[in-house]
Amino acid sequence: MGRGQRFGAFLSALVAFAVGVTVMLSLLLGDNPALFGNQPGSDELARRLALPADALLRLVAIFLALSIVIGIANLLFVHVSRLKSGKFYSAVLLASFGFTVFWYVTRQGDTSLLEAVQLPIESALAALLFVSLVHGGSRVMSKRGDLWGLLFVAVVVLVLLGSLPLAELAPLQAWSDWLMRIPVSAGARAMLLGIALGIVTAGLRALLGQDRSYRG
Amino acid sequence: MNEEFNWLEYSESVEETATEAEESSGRRGFRRFLPDRPKLPGLPGWAGLPRRPRLSRPRIPGLPGLPRLPRLGRGRGASESAQPSASDLLGGQANRPVEELDDRLRALRERSGVSAAPDPAPNQSLFDVDEVLVSPAFQRKPGGVISAVALSKAQQQQVEMLKDIVGGPLQSQAGNGGRLPRPASVFSLSAAPRLLGTALLVLMASLPFVSSDFAEGELPPADFHDDRHSATSFYNLLDNISGDDYVLVAFEYGPAAAGELDLLAELLLRHIFAQRARPLIVSSNPIAVVHARNIIRDINRSIPDADARLTADKDYYVLRYLPGGALGIRELSENFADVARVSARGQRTGLDFISLQDLKLAVLITENSEDLRHWAEQVLPKGRNLALLVATGYAAQPLAQVYADSLEKVFGPVYGIRDAYTYGEKLQANFSGLLPSPPKQALAVEPEPAPDALADGAASDIAPAPQVEPSREAESTTLALVATLPATATSQPTATTAPTDTPAPTATNTATPTATEATLLAVEITAPQRVNLRRRPTTVDDILALGYPGDLYEVLGANGDGSWYQIALSNGLDAWVAAFLVEERQVTASELAGGQANASASPQRERAVMRLGFNFRLGKNQPRYYQALTPETGDRPELALLRDRSLEIPRLQAMTLGTLAAVLVIVIGNLLVALRALLRRRSSSA
Amino acid sequence: MDETTLQVYSVLFVLATAVLVYTARFLQARRARRSRRAQRQIAGIDLIPGWAGQAIESGRPLHLAFGSAGVGEDNTAVALAGAEFFHHLIQRVGDGDVSPIMSTSAAATVPLAQDTLRRGWSRCGALTRAQWLPQGKRSIGYAAAVSCLIESERPSAHIFAGSFGPELALMIDSADRRGQGSLAVSDQLQGQAVAYAMADEALIGEELFAAAAYVAEAGEAPADAIVMDVWRALLIMGMSIVLLLEVARQLPWLSWQAVAVGSLLLLGLGLLVNRRR
Repeated sequence: MGRGQRFGAFLSALVAFAVGVTVMLSLLLGDNPALFGNQPGSDELARRLALPADALLRLVAIFLALSIVIGIANLLFVHVSRLKSGKFYSAVLLASFGFTVFWYVTRQGDTSLLEAVQLPIESALAALLFVSLVHGGSRVMSKRGDLWGLLFVAVVVLVLLGSLPLAELAPLQAWSDWLMRIPVSAGARAMLLGIALGIVTAGLRALLGQDRSYRG
Repeated sequence: MNEEFNWLEYSESVEETATEAEESSGRRGFRRFLPDRPKLPGLPGWAGLPRRPRLSRPRIPGLPGLPRLPRLGRGRGASESAQPSASDLLGGQANRPVEELDDRLRALRERSGVSAAPDPAPNQSLFDVDEVLVSPAFQRKPGGVISAVALSKAQQQQVEMLKDIVGGPLQSQAGNGGRLPRPASVFSLSAAPRLLGTALLVLMASLPFVSSDFAEGELPPADFHDDRHSATSFYNLLDNISGDDYVLVAFEYGPAAAGELDLLAELLLRHIFAQRARPLIVSSNPIAVVHARNIIRDINRSIPDADARLTADKDYYVLRYLPGGALGIRELSENFADVARVSARGQRTGLDFISLQDLKLAVLITENSEDLRHWAEQVLPKGRNLALLVATGYAAQPLAQVYADSLEKVFGPVYGIRDAYTYGEKLQANFSGLLPSPPKQALAVEPEPAPDALADGAASDIAPAPQVEPSREAESTTLALVATLPATATSQPTATTAPTDTPAPTATNTATPTATEATLLAVEITAPQRVNLRRRPTTVDDILALGYPGDLYEVLGANGDGSWYQIALSNGLDAWVAAFLVEERQVTASELAGGQANASASPQRERAVMRLGFNFRLGKNQPRYYQALTPETGDRPELALLRDRSLEIPRLQAMTLGTLAAVLVIVIGNLLVALRALLRRRSSSA
Repeated sequence: MDETTLQVYSVLFVLATAVLVYTARFLQARRARRSRRAQRQIAGIDLIPGWAGQAIESGRPLHLAFGSAGVGEDNTAVALAGAEFFHHLIQRVGDGDVSPIMSTSAAATVPLAQDTLRRGWSRCGALTRAQWLPQGKRSIGYAAAVSCLIESERPSAHIFAGSFGPELALMIDSADRRGQGSLAVSDQLQGQAVAYAMADEALIGEELFAAAAYVAEAGEAPADAIVMDVWRALLIMGMSIVLLLEVARQLPWLSWQAVAVGSLLLLGLGLLVNRRR
């Protein structure tokens, strides 16, 4: 790594650290006068402490809204480069991109293209998603041919049957409800807890400048 | 790095150790190559990459001792492709027709001058390493691309491999002839189960739409079940809003969940519109914003009178899209005033809120639990007066139920198509009686923000000024929210029992105080602004209603030091007001009635503001049940009623039949897999 | 718990985690020199070497997908963890001829993906091999675009590590039909359920954050796995103690001292058994 790269990495790590710590402290300490003993002036202090986080997070929101430009640039770049190898669908994509931009520019505020094309297509794909899910469910045992696969299928079937409004299946409803309320809910919470731990750890690693992207 | 990709080492170690390891350790397949305790960092498997993929599935980590079912057969597809031996791969590559090869491989094959057709004669196995890697054909034909560049030793080995792949006649040991799994053609036999399953699903789900002979399953109930207090409260809270109220409605679902949530979303909007309240629609999903407009457009189409149709930025507001997911929602909670100023079309809405605390109700329609988490954890704490009503799809229901059970300000969930049907039935029942009455005069709503905010601190109990002054006369609605123990929903303004957690005065059904000519002790509100009328004599308790300067209330009592008066509200409840905001007066009953009539002239006055002392209480599942005392508040009942219901029942039946079909496909598919595995096992043992 | 207490606890938690991150990193650096730390096996990770080999042999790319994990959004950490995992993975397949393809539906993740690819695959192509497929969370459009990519690029296998909803089913199904392997993990519960049911192997929940430690070369692994292990152990212990105390409260004959002694004994026994093994 050259000296310039190393300096760049150091600088980006420093910026990340400074911004991260500022936002974190501002979020944790701001807007709560009780932290400062509810004395005169603690209101103002708490309010001021909250300001940096507000300002920086607003900046992030603006950046996120603008990041779509990066995405579009990438999309165009990828598909223009694919045009060279004669990819038909890339040509279609670029053409429809141009058409949509033209449409929107000439008829400002008109979302009928979105409503007439994107929404129906996405709805149709959502219906296909159902077929994919069922098909995947029918092949669970071929992927996981063990007790856990069997258990998975049994629970899926039980919950689906329990949700049916058929009098003959009423006894299953209690089982299905119990499954959803206790084991499924417990498992979901455990998974969310694990993910939350991971998020805190990975987030802090980035905050402390330990992330790979800062190493130049 | 390069040393690790040593094919020679790999192949030899595989062959030499396989049988031995398998026998000695009892471990089969892939695992036999692993040391007893896998070490970090770096999997030992990497040391020999590329290597033979595992042959059987290792046990689920962390769950030792579970019985293993007989190994079931793998279907064609990824599970199979994940497991091919390297010889399969090589054979597959060599046998692939020229037109299927990458440009690069095709060029190489052409240069090597070897026919694409496999030579049936040799019967080499991959694990005859020497023959494979030192291919005679390759040795006779050096040069080509290889001589053009300087390659490392490891790269040379790989290039040799590549030459073998495209040029060497190889035949696999594997039963499938070593071909890579190909995508199943639509007409091939292997695609048949998928086609049959899909056909069954489509058929079963479409039957109810073409014939009424397939009416399967009971219809959902016309009211929420008794034990679903929270769902009933959802309905009642929404029923308690009235003209000029703003309701925040979050559309957090995309087209994928439209089938499940559209009906519910439409009903909720209709319920809001029917009360002349105005939804503020927000979303962190740009498509959902457009979708919400579509739903309102459909509602508008159902209104026969063109003049009575709903107008954007007047009867409803579609606010700007919130980018950044959770950040967007944070923006909403922190800077609601800014968000509310701009519509989705980029125009000014004219709304001038101060903060989320100006709102009482937020309705969240979401397909997933993450959005619910963001709303419950970010938006709710910021809107101190806010109650969150949650409508979800089936998938998010379990977690939504947990939130509704554990957070006092979260109500619901109302979920899925069946609950939507029930909600529609409730709307129908409650509003159909109101339909004959002619609609009230047209809405003349010019949001007139006059937020000269006054702190609602301990020093003063003067309420913040209203964000919108009512600009129309409406029938006197005496609304109150009463926290009660579970009771059934009723359209009668029945008496309610006091909640256990608040020693609230018992609400009685004395609609108006009896008028007599005797003089009564009353108080007149002398504060310059509206004041809070509270449940108990303390500034931190719930606000039951608002009193305005000049309003008269009968005095029922006072607290010990005389700093609070207990007063009777016109709706039969009693409340407390701070003494320094009022003056005592002796009035006759008629005077009192006049003062109260004045007080209740507008629904904006003396309306419960739903500030019910919410606290976050985790783990307490005591049901709070909100009952509408006068649910018939709809000013535009036709909006709740004039909807096309022709497809509702077929949709419910389609869902039932579709679910049945899905269960069938899942059960039969898995049974077939198991059966095939057993047959294979039998034939191999034979 | 009122807001102030919650904030104080949050500060303490963050500080403790920061200390742990540094300590773990320090210990790991020392251990890497002396011995290797034992780590439980994850079936999904075991598949990757085979796929990497297959990708190299057959000259097809690996497809590495972030889904909607977006830098700057609430799942930034998921995107970073995915990038770390992919970085080590790309280094492992660095000998192949075809660079992996990375896809994301969050536009802000595109630079991260390009950077990851550039660091692991310095030769060329990072700009076009990291692709943005529109758009957003639970995007069916993204799923459809990945299905097209499966058809046109014919990846040898797919590793979905990021944020996915139920639309993951469409992608895995398409990959399945093309005979391409898949490993999936999502921070969304619905996506996780689909991953478990349909992918060849699934990582569960926080395994996404530990995955990089499994794939990395010695001394390169991030310390996340260790920090998470410590926190998880503490969390489980805390929850168990609270549960036991709650049970003890219900059973009047059982004193909290007895429960405490019992818990300590159990803990000691567990440590002993673990050490023996």
